[in-house]
Amino acid sequence: MSLPLLQKPLLGLVVISAFASGVCAQIQLPGEGTRPEAHLPTIPDVQVQSPFKPFDQARFEKAVRDFGATALQLKTFGQEVEEIGAARAADDLLRKALPKFDEAVLAAEDQDPKAALLLAKVLVETKSPLLQAHVRYHMARLFLSSDDPERAIEVLNEYIGKNLNHSPLDGEAAYFYAQALAEVPMIDDAIPRFRAFLAWFPNASERLRSAAHQRLLELELQKESRLHMLADGMKKTTRDLRKQKTDKPVQLDQEAYLEELDELIEMFQEKEKQSTGPASGNGPSSSPAASSALPGGDGSVGKLNNKPSLADRWGDMRDSERKKIMADVQNTMPPQYQKMLEEYYKKLGKADRK
Amino acid sequence: MLRFLQERVNKKTKATDANAATTSPEQADYDKISKKQERVKELMRLLAEKLGKENGVEGGQ
Repeated sequence: MSLPLLQKPLLGLVVISAFASGVCAQIQLPGEGTRPEAHLPTIPDVQVQSPFKPFDQARFEKAVRDFGATALQLKTFGQEVEEIGAARAADDLLRKALPKFDEAVLAAEDQDPKAALLLAKVLVETKSPLLQAHVRYHMARLFLSSDDPERAIEVLNEYIGKNLNHSPLDGEAAYFYAQALAEVPMIDDAIPRFRAFLAWFPNASERLRSAAHQRLLELELQKESRLHMLADGMKKTTRDLRKQKTDKPVQLDQEAYLEELDELIEMFQEKEKQSTGPASGNGPSSSPAASSALPGGDGSVGKLNNKPSLADRWGDMRDSERKKIMADVQNTMPPQYQKMLEEYYKKLGKADRK
Repeated sequence: MLRFLQERVNKKTKATDANAATTSPEQADYDKISKKQERVKELMRLLAEKLGKENGVEGGQ
């Protein structure tokens, strides 16, 4: 669009005013929209053949017995597989057999900021791919719940690379991998992975399968909405900026948002020109808005529970407790996890609190 | 308005990046720009949802 720069903000206002008054109610927006490209996590290609093997219960039970699981715990596991599914039952059994792992998962469930450190400690202390799988699964869930899908993908990439086919949690890991991609947003990567999850895990829990169906529908619709795509991209850039990423790739994403806004503004103007008379069909509104301001309120879906968030809990901790966690991270973690956890806690400290 | 706000965030991002070579911006500086970007995102989302409610096509979430 070749309009003088000063006119563009005004045009933006006009367009928003038109949106708010419903002038464009029947407008469809063709085109691909814009997708953020800066600092996207590297992900392996979707495989044509499922890399997942059916759950080998005998091998799993042997591994857990080596961890010290009792005969009674194994018997209970056998019953629970039928009742709550192999994935949950296996996680429960590992927690019973390994108190440190249980403590870490409990902390994660309780939104305790120590959870990431506790999980990482279990991870670095074990060589068992089975336990690593479970720890990485819980870490990924923790990062996802802290609005950090990029780090969740990083952890799940390790799961896929090192821990596949040891635990019945593979299906859930596959689901949350797709979910994390959708959150980034890497929608074009998320959709085939949700489909793969549905095809490869027909026996996954009904809860996850119906959630995957639902997410697929949402993502397909999201792809049709250039406005939502734009908002999703901006969400990603918000995270990038918080992580001190202001470099060229981020700036290019931001420039793409401007171009997209220009294109949308131009498109709506074109539609307005083409319409004869008021586009709403029944004349001007009887109560037009006094200004072009958007109505107040939060555009996103609110949190569905009132449990304090991780950021709240981190903020409520005493300085000495926070320092102790950071000291533990620096003194006990190998470099790759040290960096990951330092960034994680830094982000937690800066996150919005309720 | 959205365009104007996004343009402002872009300028601030560029300036912070350029300054990073000589001074070291603090986390608070990055948080400030991030907040501005988040505000534009929220307005964008609000608009998408409003339109989605009105025509059921351009509002897939």
